[in-house]
Amino acid sequence: MQLISTVHWFARCGFGALLLLLACGVATAWFGNGQKFSSTTTRDGTLITFNRFIQESVPDVALVGSSVSFRLNEEYFATLNLRNLAIAGGSPLTGLEIVANGKRLPKVVLVEANVLSRSTDAALVEKYSRNDRAEPMFFRPIRTAVLAYENWRHAPLNHAQVSLALNQLLKQPPSDFDNHIYVGRARQLLDAEDPTVATRASIKRIKELMLSLDQRGARMLLFELPYSAPIEDTQSVKITREIVHSEFPDPDRWLHIDYTRSELRWADSVHLDERSAVIVSQSIDRALSPLLGQAIGR
Amino acid sequence: MTFTSWQFGMLVAVVFGAYYLPPLRTLQIQLLVIASLVFYGYGQPELLPLLAVAVLGTYLFLTLALRNRRVWLPIGIAFNLALLAFFKYKFLFLDPTSAGLTGATPIDFLLRLPLPIGISFFVFHNISLLVDLTTKKNIAPDLTSVFLYIIFFPQLVSGPITRAEMFMPQIGPKYFGDIPFVEAAKWILTGYFFKLYVANNLNEMTSYMDFPLYETLRTQDRWLLVFLYSYQIYADFFGYSAIAIGLALLFGYRLPVNFNLPYISVSFSEFWTRWHISLSSWLRTYLYVPLGGNRHGAFRTYLNLMIVMGLGGLWHGAGLSYLMWGLLHGLLLVIERPFLARLQSIDSIVLRATRVSVVFVCVTMLWIFFKLPNFDHAVSYLSGMFASDTNPNPPKLSLDLALLYSLPVGIQHLVSRPFFERILNPVEPYVYGAMAALMYLEAGPETSFIYFQF
Repeated sequence: MQLISTVHWFARCGFGALLLLLACGVATAWFGNGQKFSSTTTRDGTLITFNRFIQESVPDVALVGSSVSFRLNEEYFATLNLRNLAIAGGSPLTGLEIVANGKRLPKVVLVEANVLSRSTDAALVEKYSRNDRAEPMFFRPIRTAVLAYENWRHAPLNHAQVSLALNQLLKQPPSDFDNHIYVGRARQLLDAEDPTVATRASIKRIKELMLSLDQRGARMLLFELPYSAPIEDTQSVKITREIVHSEFPDPDRWLHIDYTRSELRWADSVHLDERSAVIVSQSIDRALSPLLGQAIGR
Repeated sequence: MTFTSWQFGMLVAVVFGAYYLPPLRTLQIQLLVIASLVFYGYGQPELLPLLAVAVLGTYLFLTLALRNRRVWLPIGIAFNLALLAFFKYKFLFLDPTSAGLTGATPIDFLLRLPLPIGISFFVFHNISLLVDLTTKKNIAPDLTSVFLYIIFFPQLVSGPITRAEMFMPQIGPKYFGDIPFVEAAKWILTGYFFKLYVANNLNEMTSYMDFPLYETLRTQDRWLLVFLYSYQIYADFFGYSAIAIGLALLFGYRLPVNFNLPYISVSFSEFWTRWHISLSSWLRTYLYVPLGGNRHGAFRTYLNLMIVMGLGGLWHGAGLSYLMWGLLHGLLLVIERPFLARLQSIDSIVLRATRVSVVFVCVTMLWIFFKLPNFDHAVSYLSGMFASDTNPNPPKLSLDLALLYSLPVGIQHLVSRPFFERILNPVEPYVYGAMAALMYLEAGPETSFIYFQF
């Protein structure tokens, strides 16, 4: 009797588990597994972008970079079909490797040249570079549900939806936020850092990938984002700029972005504030326009 | 080897498969001892000799104390406390990375040994063995049984701290037909669910409490994370204890329950009868009562409480943070003691809810000293909770996920047990099945159990 009730208990327990697994398996097969990450942290936001990058059609423009470019939200750009794969706290090379490992390439790949001293995130590259795109059988039900809820409540906006708000933001004066504490901290760190070895290693790899992308018909361009004046003057920034420009002297390898520097502000001395990020995004739009043959109207 | 690794699953499966085979019935104890040595030595084989020294030394002192308790019991206890003090607190006084410590190679080797996992737990087992068995003037148990009591793998590294007088009588032949499979499965599934679903997922967020990441947090997120850590540490340790109890049942042993809904305690003294029960009961039996307990007036009682809680804090780790954590708990016990009887006599739901909230918030705030063993960091985190933040780019945390991952702890504590049993009884196996599926589907990134470090 005891044995029978024990067996019944385990049978029902197994059935309960199987039912949930089956439900998730069917839902995964039906909806796909692209929504497996939800925003627990800022970094997870990047992963959502990578999920979209590998699942949706290849964009015309892919932008890879570090936290410096991470602030350039996709909806700030009027350029159609642009994907920002910058990683907060990461290296531009991570995004570049992922783009280069894809079967099809964007027409233009923009590579931020501000921060090249960080190493590539090999795990992320491996994860998003699988050629078979084999997905796990099950998604994470809680995270998927939360993501669906968040998407329903805060659906990602496109440029057309936010352009009015962006224009209003641009009409406002630049921020007068006092960031001198952050400037001091950042200067201390950047003056103590010598990025020579790491930057040279990154550049070597960028050159290899540049050759590969050129051969496959994509156009790779470097770009630099401005820092606040005290940061431009630090050892790390000066060394990086010097090495990058001596290694890539050809002006045709650079995307020339044009903006009014006095309009820009850096909330923490390194990263552009929202208004400045919009200004820079628009200048990137203008620089991209002749390359893509798109009319960027404003 | 951790409970959540596939190697551990293999070990349990193999040992369980062999354990109840009739030809091996006379070797059950030896089999468990060997399995426990494999479990312990898998990660730190160089520390197996230490484990052997601790057990053999304790056995020797036990044998001697059974002949002359007055002389050999204190020496046996001192031997164990010396082991604990040496390995746990030596790094307060020396830097293991420095080139030459003493110049004598064997001593330098000892000084450089890392903190043995679970030393705090097995030393307390040893002391319990010495005290319990010599109090009742038992005959000396055989060495294999002593080994099993001290190093039984489900409880070896993080307890529950089982008293010798409870465990030793259970040692004997075990039969497959006696296994309470359903009860064991419930403990194991609940334990893994709390560890994998709750604790590991919350850990993803509470890692922002570490230095220097916490400096980037918004003030409200500091508060949120402290509460999430409170849920996490409960889920982590309750999960471990539940798995240990379930595994022990599979091998025919019943370990003490270690948690009883601690976050619904109405007083701090009640909290300590519900949180890490085996430790508080050990401290009460072997420290508080021998110190005089509450038998020598109010002042001595308060002093004893402070001593016990202070030492309890230091037992967790050699650091000012742990000491402060223990002393502050001691202080809360002292402060509430004169008012307890009066508060207990008032029958009011509002007062009860207020008391539960006060105890929960205080206990939760003190976990900061656990999360940040560096005292300066802990104080800095704490002070940041009461100051406005200025970071223009703080990390963003998902409130939805925070709620959903901590929900099981809330449900477990707030839904009354009779209601739970009445509603759940017909569907109980399905619920456990769903928990099993959910902990597989929604498991957070692998992290070691918090109490492994002690």
